[in-house]
Amino acid sequence: MRVLPNLRSGGWFKVLLSSRHITFSSLLLAASLPFVPTHLGAQVDGEVVYNQWCAGCHGEDGAGTGPAANTMLPRPRDFTLALYQVRTTATGGLPTDADMLKVINEGMPGTAMPGWEDVLTEGDRLALVDYLKTFSRFFQDDPPTPLDFGRATPETDEAIARGAEVYQTVECWRCHGQQGRGDGESAPTLNDAAGFPIVAADLTENWRFNGGGEVEEIYRVLRTGLDGTPMPTFSDIVDAGVITNEDLWSLAHYVRRLSPEDEPEVREVVTAKLLTDTPLPQTVEDIVWEEAEAFYVPLAGQIIIKPRWFNPRVDGVWVQAAHDGRELALLVSWGDPSESPDTLWADFGERVLTTMAPGDEGSASGSGAADQLVVQFPQELYEGQERPYFLQGDARRPAYTWTWQSDVTGAFESIARGMGTAARQADAEQHVRATAQHADGQWKVLFVRPLDTGSEEDLAMTVGQAVPMAFQAWDGDNGESGNQGAVSTWYFLFLEQPTPIAVYVQPPVALALTLLFGLLVVRQARLGSGMVRELDASARRKRIARTRQLAGMGVGVIWLGMAFGSYQNSRAGWEAGHADLGFWWAIIGGLLAIAGLGALVGTWIHTRTSK
Amino acid sequence: MGALKVVFRLLGAPFRLISSVMGRFLNTPFRQATALLVFAYLLIEIGIPFIPPLVGFPSAPVPNTVVLEYLVIAVVGILLWVSDNEERWSEFKQPIHDVLVRPDRRVARGFLFVIVPALVAAQTYLSARPDMSAPPSFRAIHPAPPSAITFQGEQIVLDGLENPLRSTGSLEEHYEEGKRVYYQNCLACHGDGLQGRGHYAQIFNPAPLNFQDGGTIAMLTESFVFWRIAKGGPGLPNEGNPWNSAMPAWENFLTADEIWSVIVFLYEQTEHEPRTWEEEGEEH
Repeated sequence: MRVLPNLRSGGWFKVLLSSRHITFSSLLLAASLPFVPTHLGAQVDGEVVYNQWCAGCHGEDGAGTGPAANTMLPRPRDFTLALYQVRTTATGGLPTDADMLKVINEGMPGTAMPGWEDVLTEGDRLALVDYLKTFSRFFQDDPPTPLDFGRATPETDEAIARGAEVYQTVECWRCHGQQGRGDGESAPTLNDAAGFPIVAADLTENWRFNGGGEVEEIYRVLRTGLDGTPMPTFSDIVDAGVITNEDLWSLAHYVRRLSPEDEPEVREVVTAKLLTDTPLPQTVEDIVWEEAEAFYVPLAGQIIIKPRWFNPRVDGVWVQAAHDGRELALLVSWGDPSESPDTLWADFGERVLTTMAPGDEGSASGSGAADQLVVQFPQELYEGQERPYFLQGDARRPAYTWTWQSDVTGAFESIARGMGTAARQADAEQHVRATAQHADGQWKVLFVRPLDTGSEEDLAMTVGQAVPMAFQAWDGDNGESGNQGAVSTWYFLFLEQPTPIAVYVQPPVALALTLLFGLLVVRQARLGSGMVRELDASARRKRIARTRQLAGMGVGVIWLGMAFGSYQNSRAGWEAGHADLGFWWAIIGGLLAIAGLGALVGTWIHTRTSK
Repeated sequence: MGALKVVFRLLGAPFRLISSVMGRFLNTPFRQATALLVFAYLLIEIGIPFIPPLVGFPSAPVPNTVVLEYLVIAVVGILLWVSDNEERWSEFKQPIHDVLVRPDRRVARGFLFVIVPALVAAQTYLSARPDMSAPPSFRAIHPAPPSAITFQGEQIVLDGLENPLRSTGSLEEHYEEGKRVYYQNCLACHGDGLQGRGHYAQIFNPAPLNFQDGGTIAMLTESFVFWRIAKGGPGLPNEGNPWNSAMPAWENFLTADEIWSVIVFLYEQTEHEPRTWEEEGEEH
């Protein structure tokens, strides 16, 4: 029988060290337990982690058919097939553990697969990799060997030009289109390995690339392909000598350049530039749009009211705006491979509809609808921050909308009290004009409307004021119509205003006043400390005279400044078409100018003699 | 005992250092007042947000208006202290007076004459400049719930309401059912990790709730969560900005039992405990 060791004399240590059952290494482990993640302390069961966090989409059997699966396209990965998109190994090969961990950590951009790096511990994620491999006996073979990718070539103009040539040589455009927007001739025919419809990636949105959007990652996809999708490997034509490995790097640089440098930042306020010298653009190709700032508005499937839509084609629109004080021009651009309805795409739309079955009553039964864009405003601006419901208004607060459809020329204004209730305004009340252009897988639609239409039914827009604005978009060839499209919540449109004159006047005035105040304080302090002698009578008179002179001149200058401000306001008024404002500001300015000049001259005359 | 003394000596060293530094540099009321003000600012701006994480709550930067308010209080307190006795007050004023008057302080005086008006002018410019930002949004994140709601035509009293599934059937089955409901309906916004980071999350504003956060379901009763799920964005009172929330009114999609089961799932998956009505009663 073991005797309890004497604690005070360090008996525990002696017991531990002398015990044959406890090795030195496990003692080290025990000592370090508080400092390492728990997964090293206890074996993590990958199956438990998987069933808790992954099975909802991928299914407990790993076949990619969990409860959420049919709300997703592309579908969740079927682990039983051992087909993996993101690999550093040759096409048809298994991924390395590091490849699998990368996807678990970072997720699959552009799909429903999130990154798990800050949700699960490293131990949990490593255990998941091991567990995923149990779904397929292929992983019992020898571990795969990664390909040698070499080093990235430098990103030069020549490399990008060469990349553009390779893009043609290896016919990327067949699926991805000439400008990379996924509008190639083969795009409508694409299926993944499981037979589900799949889109050719829009190469202008690298933040949505499966497997990552940086040059090295694009190159990796070119070398290994995306197994299970129609994206092939190009290693074979490099090996066959059709193109060189350097060419493939050049292609990766070129593809990277199709997207913006950074993922677009989502900003709440879209600014409409004030055009003073240039006329308001009347076409989508006007040079103004090359200069005007573009704002990205991401869209999501309408999954809020029945029937829901989990597979929107339009994942965002770019918005540019300008105004000239009288009219607003709003250019909306977005990727859409076809001018719906396009017979080449009709079958694709049908396949999407049969694949996406949320089971809500009222779901679309056939494709072939037109493309559609709705720009939405409140019918009027409410007190406080109140707005209509973002899905085309509600019974109490109607929305005022501009609707453009690909099979109708122009656009029309409506009043809506909820999704699907939009009532087109009478023809006499139609004020918005629209022109549209479809080129290289992109729609550009330009809306032009007077800021104030004079109609009670329309939202009147005011310069210098933020107006709520929201967007909705449909791709008919993707099986979208009715409530089944893409939506955004509210943003704001701000019409830039001419810089008010106060911006130039107030700071110098504030500066002068502060300086004056400082001088007074110092003077007072000096008087108080007896550092300034009391003045005799004549000096005092002189000082008073000088003070009066300064004050009179100062008043004159301030009045002249105000007169200048009035002149500016008057001119702005005339230019904005408000003759009344222009007239009255001119009168006020004139009076102020007379008063200012009078003060200056009067002061000069009156103080001249008192010397 | 000797060892103890050494320990105390070592522990005391930083304090002795601080007090000797203070003795050398903070030896006039003006310097002390300035140091106090700086200390107050650092405490408010950096110190206070540091506290909640220590006890397991998430923290956020202190709003500027709050910082300003506390600083005003600090200034008043410091002024009370320096003017409390006549000698300290005149000592406090001395350096200010010197800068204003003494010839050998001309440089400092000139510096102030440049810096202060320039700051005032800059501030005026910033406030006069046209503001192109969105109007401020005032939104109550957890608005007061109604005492009763009409759910699919039936009156449900929320006050004192418990999750009925917790007293019937097996919790594990409710969890599994809730998981199915969650993955088929909630996932796109609230995400697999329940952190409000689904693949649609970044598109909607306000962003979907993060259930893992200690400030959401962990501080709500299950009846409140039921109300929010059943009525969604459109059912929010005006202070909750019902016009911009993308949360659907799930009474149009789900049965009461489905909603209760998804609530079970939310708490089980995040390992949070719902707030109970007893706690609520105690606080009132």
